[in-house]
Amino acid sequence: MTHEQASELLAAFALHALDRDEEQAVSAHMQSCAQCQDELASLREVTEQLGSAVGQVSPPPRLREAVLAGIRSRPDVITLRRGWVVAAAAAVLLLVLAALGVSLSRQLTALSARLAAQERVLALLAAPSSRSVPLTGSVTAAVRFVYDPDRGRGALVVSDLRDPGRESVYQLWLIAGAQPESAGVFRPLPGQPIVLPVTADFSRYQAVAISVERAPSGALQPTTTPVLLGKL
Amino acid sequence: MRTGASLAVGERPIRPSAVEWQMERGATQADHEATLLARIARRDATAFETLYDRYSRAIYSLALRLLGNPQAAQEVAQEIFLHIWRGAGEFIPARGSARSWVLSLAHHRTVDALRRQRVRAVEPLAEGDLGAGGGADVVDQALRGVEGATVRSALMTLSPEQRKAIVLAYYGGYTQQEIANRLRIPLGTVKTRIRDGMQRLRGQLVQGEEERQ
Repeated sequence: MTHEQASELLAAFALHALDRDEEQAVSAHMQSCAQCQDELASLREVTEQLGSAVGQVSPPPRLREAVLAGIRSRPDVITLRRGWVVAAAAAVLLLVLAALGVSLSRQLTALSARLAAQERVLALLAAPSSRSVPLTGSVTAAVRFVYDPDRGRGALVVSDLRDPGRESVYQLWLIAGAQPESAGVFRPLPGQPIVLPVTADFSRYQAVAISVERAPSGALQPTTTPVLLGKL
Repeated sequence: MRTGASLAVGERPIRPSAVEWQMERGATQADHEATLLARIARRDATAFETLYDRYSRAIYSLALRLLGNPQAAQEVAQEIFLHIWRGAGEFIPARGSARSWVLSLAHHRTVDALRRQRVRAVEPLAEGDLGAGGGADVVDQALRGVEGATVRSALMTLSPEQRKAIVLAYYGGYTQQEIANRLRIPLGTVKTRIRDGMQRLRGQLVQGEEERQ
């Protein structure tokens, strides 16, 4: 898209009134065009005022609780895209190599360039003290929990798990005795592995489990029987 | 929530120091809000709570206005706040104020929800309904929801055609193409009305702002 075409569409872009293709094209042009960025910033002052002019209504207090519970339980779901599939496969290989005591620095350097989150998962997988537990149960799935008890870092790696349906999410639980503690909710993506980092003192827990709970933020305690379980 | 706290050990939010608070009190509101987003990008849950308290009314009201349903508005507001939590790092202070970034994100997500709703449910406006009557009812209804006097009078300075196009786009969540289809006018005409109308609104609203300062 040329600068002329993009600048013609900026007002509609600010109103979110473009078709998806046009929106993406304008967005792409904007990355490298300071003039369009400035123009959009000033148009957004207009839409900001349009948005602020509606009659003001306070949301119910439970919205605050739900929003804050949502960020506490799920701070950082990492979505694997493109190269991540390769990275995830390589990560499993690294785990095997780590067990064999092979030096991993070169592979790690190559793989950890892009994202801090990715580095974290790979570092976890490469740690000699890390362990990997497959989760099994009533559904067919390829789900592992990888963790490093020494450093209290872990991650759930979901390679294959069926969609829970629109009204549901999967919720990960850490189980101490008979007491499950939420480690966040997630939704599998078709054809894309996802990784959920978990930070905890793993010596306190005997197992990890996954249950199906209500979207979007899950439950405080499991309301259904776990579909997958792995012993730590 | 006990469990959240036990899991957040390694990613405890950075606690703002007393010094930082003092500095922020002396800063302008805009600086303060940009700082809030920067802190949220560093996973500062306290900053996020502050942001929630500052924006929940504006975000919820906008969602409620567009969606017309408290339950749907709450769901989308929750989604919007999660997006802010995850995407605060994408806010660039040099490219506009924090408030315009937040409200733009909120509008965007709400319109997406509105479009999903329309695909799922029976479209409330039959095709062409805006044609003969000119969509006057829809536009009037949307305008009645605009309570801010400055914005209301700025909208009234537009030609009726420009006003209709902008109101249908912003408050109705329609794309330019949908507006053209429904009003049975060429797409190019809608584009021109939206572009000219937004220029004029900017002249009115930004100029008004300068006068107030």
